[in-house]
Amino acid sequence: MSKTIVELKNVYKKYDDGFTALKNISFKLQEGEFYTLLGPSGCGKTTILQSIAGFTEVTSGQVLFDGKKINDIPANKRQLNTVFQDYALFPNMNVFDNVAFGLVVHNAKKDEIQTRVHDALKMVQLEQYANREISELSGGQQQRIAIARAIVNRPKVLLLDEPLSALDAKLRKDMQYELRELQQNLGITFLFVTHDQEEALAMSDEIFVMNKGEILQKGSPVDIYDEPINHFVADFIGESNIVQGKMVADYQVAFLGHQFECSDAGMRPNEPVEVVIRPEDLVITTPEKGKLQVKVDTQLFRGDYYEILAYDKAGNEWLIHSTNASTDDAIVGLTFGPDDMHIMRYNETEAKFNHRLESYED
Amino acid sequence: MEDKASRTGKIYITIVFLLLYIPIVYLILYSFSKGTTMTNFQGFSLKHYGELFADKRMLAIFLNTILIALLSSVCSTIIGTMGALAVHNAKRRHERETLLSLNSILLVSPDVIIGASFLIFFTALKLPLGFWSVLLSHIAFEIPIVLLLVLPRLDEMSPSMTNAAMDLGASPSQILSKIVLPYIQPGIIAGFFMAITYSLDDFAVTFFVTGNGFTTLSVEIYSRARQGISLEINALAGIMFIFSLILVGVYYLIETHNTGNGAKKSIVEVTDR
Ligand SMILES: Nc1ncnc2c1ncn2[C@@H]1O[C@H](COP(=O)(O)OP(=O)(O)OP(=O)(O)O)[C@@H](O)[C@H]1O
Ligand SMILES: [Mg+2]
Repeated sequence: MSKTIVELKNVYKKYDDGFTALKNISFKLQEGEFYTLLGPSGCGKTTILQSIAGFTEVTSGQVLFDGKKINDIPANKRQLNTVFQDYALFPNMNVFDNVAFGLVVHNAKKDEIQTRVHDALKMVQLEQYANREISELSGGQQQRIAIARAIVNRPKVLLLDEPLSALDAKLRKDMQYELRELQQNLGITFLFVTHDQEEALAMSDEIFVMNKGEILQKGSPVDIYDEPINHFVADFIGESNIVQGKMVADYQVAFLGHQFECSDAGMRPNEPVEVVIRPEDLVITTPEKGKLQVKVDTQLFRGDYYEILAYDKAGNEWLIHSTNASTDDAIVGLTFGPDDMHIMRYNETEAKFNHRLESYED
Repeated sequence: MEDKASRTGKIYITIVFLLLYIPIVYLILYSFSKGTTMTNFQGFSLKHYGELFADKRMLAIFLNTILIALLSSVCSTIIGTMGALAVHNAKRRHERETLLSLNSILLVSPDVIIGASFLIFFTALKLPLGFWSVLLSHIAFEIPIVLLLVLPRLDEMSPSMTNAAMDLGASPSQILSKIVLPYIQPGIIAGFFMAITYSLDDFAVTFFVTGNGFTTLSVEIYSRARQGISLEINALAGIMFIFSLILVGVYYLIETHNTGNGAKKSIVEVTDR
């Protein structure tokens, strides 16, 4: 079991205008792990980073670093570093001086500055750019310099605020691999902010899904994808089909006039629930063999699969990922197994949700 | 069409500049005349320059003027920059707006009013009128100009830049000296030169606050001109013109030096490796 390096305990943040940006945020970050804060724009991701980095004061609650409360410690005395969304490189200095800044302000010796800047630039594969001006770098290079500058002080925790959002799709993918590799090589904790769910799923050890100043669910990418706690999370993480249903009994759910065997339990009999089925878990067959019958509306070729949009008789929309094309306006059957369904209760708290899952999963 | 429009534009600009410069050129031209009036040119001579340099009083006033201009603009640049930092850091919006409007009022109010109010102020405090009263009032009316030129640079600076410096461990004074001041330096330099110009230019305020023993060029020229102009003044105009050319040249040099690459000083003195 590794050690907790950063902890937030019941943190609230209320701005001067009365707006509450963070509501009861609590989490722990372990040493050497990759964490992602994921949520839509304006949900408070940057505010969380700023309260950890010390650019903003929390209204109540505790921010702990290495077991010590750091609420009152100014940002320049906190031993963690930040990569900013707009990079915030210093335009009046060249690459070397930018990276050296954190060492210079700590009065490091010249030869130490020399080697450590060199090492940091090597980490981001830009050693030969030391004498360049910032204005002579591409966006991706600036982004890496921002990372080099932030790791030169050897922080235990690196906070990254949407560092990839300004890059084009291809470069973004490359940087995802590089960042993940860098994090593993350095062995330090990353707290990464993004509103891109694919990025979060690809890179993280653990994801915190946020909405409106609250953390809705914490978990590994697989857990969050397969077992979202509520409608918002299911919808935000990946694509999903969500229909209303009723939990008839443990392992028995009814929706669209049929009763199905499922793998969820621990709810009240006949409790109204929502059922999630991911598009890739739906298999197209003949109408007779299908558990549900739908009419194909449109289909899009996505390269490695077809995205098929269909409607059932009740008018619910069904999104299906299939390796084979279907025919427009055809009536087809859909099948899925008990494990392909995930049942969500209305207004279940994270604690209760986790407790219920533990009660029947082993 | 394009071509024609741009040619008309060029002709227009040329005419405007000619109109602006003809009086100055005319004035300077007559400083080289042998005669004593500006009615007709009577052959080349440097005698008015000779008179000017023999005129100890005029030379002293010239030096006073320059001294006042330099001292007041140094002080006002420092105070104005600090003022801009204060306005920029003002937490609340109305605080910032109040400070800014107070600044603008000083900028737009007529010199006569400002001069008169300084006069009342100095006499009320029983301060003697002379070098110090002129210096203080020049500093005072230059501050708003500097502030107004520095503030946009500050506002343009991304807040994440100071956050980044703080994040890397810089103290507030290090952030100021290593990040903020270099960034707003063009504004500071522009403010400094503007302040010099305003100081050299000023007549109204100085007129009110000079005492018996002390005067500046504009006030002196004014009082001499009332007694009938001597071509010595023209010679002085010639010298002032050259002086302003030098000022513009220096400003230009500093500007290009700053924006050009390679002129930046490294924060670590070990960039050759
Ligand atoms: N200084 C402030 N005063 C008042 N409200 C603020 C202030 N700063 C941020 N907010 C509000 O707090 C909320 C959270 O802001 P935050 O910057 O943390 O969002 P975010 O999740 O980082 O969004 P994005 O993905 O767009 O960067 C937003 O609704 C924002 O309007
Ligand atoms: Mg943000």
